[in-house]
Amino acid sequence: MASPAISFQNVSKVFPGVRALDDVSFTIEHGEVHALLGENGAGKSTLLNILHGVYAQYEGSVLIEDIRVSFASPSQAIQAGVAKVHQEINLVPELTVAQNIAMGHEPRKHGLIDYPKMHQDTGAILTKMGCHFSPSAQVKTLSTGEMQMIGIAKALYHNASIISFDEPTTALTNKETEHLFQIIRELKQKGITIIYVSHKLDEIFLIADRATILRDGRLIGTYRIADINKEQLIRSMVGRDVSSYAVRLAPACVQEEELLRVENLRASVFDDISFSLHKGEILGFAGLVGSGRTDIMRAIFGADPIHSGKLYLHGKIAHIRRPEQALAHGIGLLPENRKSQGFVRLMNNADNMGLASLKRFTKWLLINHRKKRENCLHYMDEMGLTPRNPDYLVSDLSGGNQQKVVLAKWLSTGADILIFDEPTKGIDVGAKAEIYRLMESLVAQGKGIIMVSSELPEIIGMSDRVIVMHEGRIAAVLPRAELNEEIILKYAMGE
Amino acid sequence: MKSIHVGRIFKNRSSSLVVVLLLLVVVFSVINPIYLSVYNLVDIIEQATINGLLAIGITFAIITGGIDLSIGSTMAVVIVTTGLMLVNGIDIWVCILAGVALGFAMGAINGFMVTKMMLQPFIATLGSMSIFRGIAYILTGGWPVLRIPKTFRTLVDGDIIASIPSSIFLLFAFALICHIILRHTRQGTYFLAAGGNEEATRLSGVNTDRSRLYAYGLCGVGAALAGLVMLARLGTGEPTAGLGYETNAIAAAAIGGTSMAGGRGSMVGTVLGALTLSALKVGLVVLGVDAFWQYIAMGSIIVVAAYFEVIQSKLEKRMSRLRKA
Repeated sequence: MASPAISFQNVSKVFPGVRALDDVSFTIEHGEVHALLGENGAGKSTLLNILHGVYAQYEGSVLIEDIRVSFASPSQAIQAGVAKVHQEINLVPELTVAQNIAMGHEPRKHGLIDYPKMHQDTGAILTKMGCHFSPSAQVKTLSTGEMQMIGIAKALYHNASIISFDEPTTALTNKETEHLFQIIRELKQKGITIIYVSHKLDEIFLIADRATILRDGRLIGTYRIADINKEQLIRSMVGRDVSSYAVRLAPACVQEEELLRVENLRASVFDDISFSLHKGEILGFAGLVGSGRTDIMRAIFGADPIHSGKLYLHGKIAHIRRPEQALAHGIGLLPENRKSQGFVRLMNNADNMGLASLKRFTKWLLINHRKKRENCLHYMDEMGLTPRNPDYLVSDLSGGNQQKVVLAKWLSTGADILIFDEPTKGIDVGAKAEIYRLMESLVAQGKGIIMVSSELPEIIGMSDRVIVMHEGRIAAVLPRAELNEEIILKYAMGE
Repeated sequence: MKSIHVGRIFKNRSSSLVVVLLLLVVVFSVINPIYLSVYNLVDIIEQATINGLLAIGITFAIITGGIDLSIGSTMAVVIVTTGLMLVNGIDIWVCILAGVALGFAMGAINGFMVTKMMLQPFIATLGSMSIFRGIAYILTGGWPVLRIPKTFRTLVDGDIIASIPSSIFLLFAFALICHIILRHTRQGTYFLAAGGNEEATRLSGVNTDRSRLYAYGLCGVGAALAGLVMLARLGTGEPTAGLGYETNAIAAAAIGGTSMAGGRGSMVGTVLGALTLSALKVGLVVLGVDAFWQYIAMGSIIVVAAYFEVIQSKLEKRMSRLRKA
């Protein structure tokens, strides 16, 4: 019996006051795709950080090929063949593909960089991976999916025998995801050991051989994927039954009254967009990444310019050219990327929640800080936001709670049209369910929600109606009764 | 509620600056007791007025994620314009208001270049620094404006109580008003928010362009007030005035804990930063330290303050990681 590729033995990591990992032991075999599952804060990142040398201090031991290792830094780990493909793509856009792949370990000749060899080496790796871009291409000219490939190429350049993927498909289109999976399977055949972290359970079933589940820093178990189903996985992750996962619990409450009507909206990336949103409706926007969904939302919100088209709010024509006009018309936007677009990192909960509605808390030019805090506490209670502290920095909250802060910011303004762009991206199952319940209660109050999402279960489970986009145009409008994954995908792919 | 509020004003940086400031005073006084005399302490504050006013102004620009290199030149334009108006017998208050308005306008021009023309603040104000300086020279043909009326000089920089000049009151009044603007008005919140994350702020329905324009305008007002004080103090309006003053203003803001990346800063910190610089400078003079060494001391305190910032943010990160884990 060969020794395992990686063996975690009684690994604990204590941050003062918190046990992030508590006596975790399991093994990962050679050439397997091993999924690491758990809610946010379960300890997945801590475990990866220990493996990759980000945290040098911990209890227990990590064995690679039966040899105890303790990397003092990520670069030491890479030298030893333990590489990580990051969730955020850490590339230098101005440099070439080859320069990015070889960064820090460029081949040299007479003390200078040997560019011909560098291009040859990196080109060979890219060809093997089936990538069709040149090593001399500038990274900024590539698509997100292609950039992800560079991360993998980087690992191969270092002859990594262990590669971990942290949420690699978050920004990828379905096609790119397929390509990624194909590459992962090829890596596996070459005997490379893969650790795969993802919130998307469907992917786990497609790609992983075994899965290890962590909860609150403790090991729940390691399962063969063939022996377990989705519900069992979810149950072990959250420790309770999430039957509420992306389904409507409350009855549909769509009303006749039209909140928003868009007519023939056109800009550079989309054309001929017409639809309407009703009171109490959740209108889903499905489509591949890059099909123009986000662009339409930003245009409606006045964040990007449009070429032509009309917007009617409550039946009256509205001219929205800037976000402050959207705000004045009662439209709120939960942007796609919370960190860069949703909140101000240096500001606390109260300030972030009050940012769009400060007028309400202002009298004689001065802000009434007490009222602003009360508003914050009100929404914290209503949404079950923890910790219940208006002075807490939003950047210190979990993804789900951050999303609640952004939502509270718009509810504070009294907005009745809410645009949710990928509302559950990167947040854990439990928080997702909470967001869904919030959406339900909002439409029950008569608000209208437009939900852009790349997660089909969410689109199908939550929407009253779905608009499917394909290459900047509306490919189909589907009522709830006709929703299923196949039909949405068919339209999204333009078939 | 009150304690939280006060806590935020004096949040770590400002309180540690107070300690540094007191430490400087104690050390210098022990070495040379003259340092502790009332006359000398007033002198420290008086030496800090011009830089303090500039620093308060530039704090607005820095907080929004920008910078204004042209404040020294703005000062000069205000000095010669107000000076020319004064010697031509125009009412003092009209001259003062015109000077302040001119400062705001010049700041707004910088703001226009940064927002509407989308120039990088460093480059835009590097340009206006030279343009404004040129305007100051052209207005007087390169000559100083002489014989500034006594009434103006007494009003702006004359002694009010004992030997405390009115400019000191001006400094603290301006600091208070700017503190209120920053912490208690919508625009102040928008300055901080736009500096922290412009896109998120814009997507919250805030007209960030307008806010940044105001911030540069206020920066210009600070420069104008500094110019008026200088004009009153010297009694002549030099078109060369304020050359290189932006560096000390930036230093005061940085020592006061204003992040050069934007999004964080306080007026209390900036004023304390200006006072610390002044206390150090006066102290070195009192001790008779060679002028060349003074440069090294001034530079060192900037580096130390910046390093303090690094350590502080490291600690904060560790704290937040703890809270997350």
